[in-house]
Amino acid sequence: MFVARSIAADHKDLIHDVSFDFHGRRMATCSSDQSVKVWDKSESGDWHCTASWKTHSGSVWRVTWAHPEFGQVLASCSFDRTAAVWEEIVGESNDKLRGQSHWVKRTTLVDSRTSVTDVKFAPKHMGLMLATCSADGIVRIYEAPDVMNLSQWSLQHEISCKLSCSCISWNPSSSRAHSPMIAVGSDDSSPNAMAKVQIFEYNENTRKYAKAETLMTVTDPVHDIAFAPNLGRSFHILAIATKDVRIFTLKPVRKELTSSGGPTKFEIHIVAQFDNHNSQVWRVSWNITGTVLASSGDDGCVRLWKANYMDNWKCTGILKGNGSPVNGSSQLGNSNPSLSSNIPNLQNSLNGSSAGRKHS
Amino acid sequence: MEKMSRVSTALSGSALTGRTMHCHLDAPANAISVCRDAAQVVVAGRSIFKIYAIEEEQFVEKLNLRVGRKPSLNLSCADVVWHQMDENLLATAATNGVVVTWNLGRPSRNKQDQLFTEHKRTVNKVCFHPTEAHVLLSGSQDGFMKCFDLRRKDSVSTFSGQSESVRDVQFSIRDYFTFASTFENGNVQLWDIRRPDRCERMFTAHNGPVFCCDWHPEDRGWLATGGRDKMVKVWDMTTHRAKEMHCVQTIASVARVKWRPECRHHLATCSMMVDHNIYVWDVRRPFVPAAMFEEHRDVTTGIAWRHPHDPSFLLSGSKDSTLCQHLFRDASQPVERANPEGLCYGLFGDLAFAAKESLVAAESGRKPYAGDRRHPIFFKRKLDPAEPFSGLASSALSVFETESGGGSMSWFVDTAERYALTGRPLAELCDHNAKVARELGRNQVAQTWTMLRIIYCSPGLVSSTNLNHSVGKGSSCGLPLMNSFNLKDMGPGLASETRLDRSKGDTRSDTALLDSSATLITNEDNEETEGSDVPADYLLGDVEGEEDELYPLDTEHVHSEEPEYVLPQEAFPLRHEIVDTPSGPEHLQDKADSPHVSGNEADTASLAPVDSSSSLLSVSHALYDSRLPPDFFSVLVRDMLHFYAEQGDVQMAVSVLIVLGERVRKDIDEQTQEHWYTSYIDLLQRFCLWNVSNEVVKLSTSRAVSCLNQASTTLHVNCSHCKRPMSSRGWVCDRCHRCASMCAVCHHVVKGLFVWCQGCSHGGHLQHIMKWLEGSSQCPAGCGHLCEYS
Repeated sequence: MFVARSIAADHKDLIHDVSFDFHGRRMATCSSDQSVKVWDKSESGDWHCTASWKTHSGSVWRVTWAHPEFGQVLASCSFDRTAAVWEEIVGESNDKLRGQSHWVKRTTLVDSRTSVTDVKFAPKHMGLMLATCSADGIVRIYEAPDVMNLSQWSLQHEISCKLSCSCISWNPSSSRAHSPMIAVGSDDSSPNAMAKVQIFEYNENTRKYAKAETLMTVTDPVHDIAFAPNLGRSFHILAIATKDVRIFTLKPVRKELTSSGGPTKFEIHIVAQFDNHNSQVWRVSWNITGTVLASSGDDGCVRLWKANYMDNWKCTGILKGNGSPVNGSSQLGNSNPSLSSNIPNLQNSLNGSSAGRKHS
Repeated sequence: MEKMSRVSTALSGSALTGRTMHCHLDAPANAISVCRDAAQVVVAGRSIFKIYAIEEEQFVEKLNLRVGRKPSLNLSCADVVWHQMDENLLATAATNGVVVTWNLGRPSRNKQDQLFTEHKRTVNKVCFHPTEAHVLLSGSQDGFMKCFDLRRKDSVSTFSGQSESVRDVQFSIRDYFTFASTFENGNVQLWDIRRPDRCERMFTAHNGPVFCCDWHPEDRGWLATGGRDKMVKVWDMTTHRAKEMHCVQTIASVARVKWRPECRHHLATCSMMVDHNIYVWDVRRPFVPAAMFEEHRDVTTGIAWRHPHDPSFLLSGSKDSTLCQHLFRDASQPVERANPEGLCYGLFGDLAFAAKESLVAAESGRKPYAGDRRHPIFFKRKLDPAEPFSGLASSALSVFETESGGGSMSWFVDTAERYALTGRPLAELCDHNAKVARELGRNQVAQTWTMLRIIYCSPGLVSSTNLNHSVGKGSSCGLPLMNSFNLKDMGPGLASETRLDRSKGDTRSDTALLDSSATLITNEDNEETEGSDVPADYLLGDVEGEEDELYPLDTEHVHSEEPEYVLPQEAFPLRHEIVDTPSGPEHLQDKADSPHVSGNEADTASLAPVDSSSSLLSVSHALYDSRLPPDFFSVLVRDMLHFYAEQGDVQMAVSVLIVLGERVRKDIDEQTQEHWYTSYIDLLQRFCLWNVSNEVVKLSTSRAVSCLNQASTTLHVNCSHCKRPMSSRGWVCDRCHRCASMCAVCHHVVKGLFVWCQGCSHGGHLQHIMKWLEGSSQCPAGCGHLCEYS
């Protein structure tokens, strides 16, 4: 069961993103009020705002943490067409005594001519890299060649997506068998039904990102996209927030079978599709083992999805904005009428292995 | 332009109709101004000065005011203004400092009326008095503002800005004598046209130049100013001191600001660099523009609302040489596209959720609100100018925490910390890990460990050292196993016999004798086992019948799945083989006879029954094993590891990989192993399980993983005696030839954990130093340093 802890965020406009750090002890929020706040969890489990500062001159769409190996580093992106990298300053000061920390801007990435809609650090094994995407349909990949110098970033790749981009996700797999891969979603709302999710893969030979796949079935505006933590899986799981929640698996087809050098071919299956939010889905987020997906939609609810041993994804919980479980099975939709509507003991359902699945 | 729509507005007497449209100009525009009939617009620039008629479908060029063969600098316009009372009267400000008035009523081609050459530098702005037909005001880069009476040849009065360049001048709409001027130093001044000697009021409005200002058309005291500091500020000028009412933060320096007609809180802005868009803001929501026009490809230089009482038509001129008419309902609305929710899954299974308050509130409210809530999503909301302001949008932030402190990932942490991966015999490791898993309620994992033990801990495989070890602790390793199967019908006598046997087995001299007898026992037991059928069936995974008895702890799920996958169909052929092939003893005999069997192995064989007879199961297992080498199971084990990995339980995959070591390593390709290791290590580090993570790195056989531990970490140490850096390797100082790692408390050389103060280089055993520091903060070496340990 979940306990809701309400936090007085005190942002002066909408909060657009929340992000936990690597260790789950810190949280960052960003808002249209152009500020980012950092929250630290105290011993008692309370969240305290330890920093709040103006980051941009427009709505801040996203905030994301870098791997702590690179320091306490945040990246933010904004309507003001920039993305910025921030670092926490360690040192004795009055701020520290008041329980406040100080963040300084290390760089501003100004290449976009339109609103930067998402920013994501690459998986750690790739080094200190980050990707941004913008409303003009360009994904940019930056690298800090010297991880000790956060103020120097070079633009490594520019990938044109032809569609206004809204979200990106790195494939987190650390396997050498999986080339760096990035999925891009578009919220382009023009009526011409073009596929809104593209997947780009790094090609060692050409040293460029090339389109590996397009999810043709996703034609509605996509608001969020998330690869599940890979954790040694041979395939990838991708969650998409569009007018419904969708979960795809991407199984790389063995290299020997495909022509070498070209992009990896994937066997793509849609394994779940839920319209239980009855409206636009805004966010999807995976738990740390990639076994539970949380989604939030215009109904103001968070829904949790989990696969059973047959690889059937089902709703395992609904959380309202105020944390109480939603009652009434009508909320659950018709796809899984047998499901109980209250939240099961997550302790059990999160034990990824307690529910087995026949290995194929 | 697929989104163009048509709008006609009923105004008093006349109706404005039109659509979003644009026309190409010959040259970049610097400024535009609309005629009071709202049907014509004048565009002025460095090399353009034209009047266009605004028709329903298009702009039509009506008049080119740039006449004459040789281009005159007087025609290079920085600003243009159309008189709001006289349709024939225009004024332009030239970059060479000349102010020109134009009379469209003149019959000749050249409409130029009067020429004022009083300014010395560029005139940035000209402004007609809103009600007085003949009064024109100009503001120039030279720091002066001049008031002209069009009936006279030169200026009536000059206002000095104290050599600060004037960027904008605007007559107040309501106060007859008042005008505002803005300056490059960030100041705004308020003047009375009757008093040119000094300004009525002056205040600093912005950091850096104030490029523009606009009086509110209705609110008498409100002045909006825009500056290079990217801000638009709204001032209440009625109070004694100008009071900042609102502040809008835009993304680029503000070049023009214009209040939107009929919308008290709306104003339009454009920028002079970087940003080509025109924004309309509601000053009460200062962070998100209410509307955005994105038509221009270059900087927008002039904006004007088409009619002073129509809020839907906006005209703009741009450096991209186009003139545009924007329809408000065609504007893109960033608010609508903005994501109202944030969601993040935390490490411990907690969820952070931020949502627009109205969404959350609607959710907790009654059903009827449901429709309203979704309305704006499916139908693009028509922006009604009269629409009441819904208030500042705000979000509710909450963190959903899993109950019971540790959260739902505690099983992972516990498992990681308690698993034994090395240092003990395989059987014991498996048993231990099975126990850990069972205690954490993870029965499937527990069973897997138990099975691994059965598969691999066969007499032929366990080395003698391992075995001796396990024999010594026989009860501790055998009994849990037994418990796990909950075997009820095991004879207690057998167990005691076993212990007896074991004690004998320890003495080497008896080995040979025991060998045969033990084999015999084994055989007998086997027969029994097969007869009774219970354990054998269990091993075959064909336990549906006894399931409930065997797994009292299991949850429903595990029940049905367990037999399905842990031992898939492969188990069945196994059984047939057993039936078909000759019975155990011969096989064992063969083994003993073969020259490959070392003493150790013989030992093992003899001791095996001892070890396993404490549980019937192991005995029966020994039988199978004697026919089926563990290799037989390797496919199964490999599949099992892959299964766990695909399920997201990389912990199990890696733990088994480490525990089994060489036994399975060859079956799984190097890349996959490395992938599992790196994934697991990453996960451990997330949970700050550094010790476990290091152990895993150490135990891994993958080169790419084990080198993680050898990544460059350099310790710089000073000798505790001579305080000089220790340059050589090791702990003996080059200079004073003494061992530097002496404990300052007990004066012994420290092996293992050595802590030292980086200030005085003294240190010692962790425990000693900790204890010392409880009593004193000074260095235990007596150097007087107040040691600091982090």
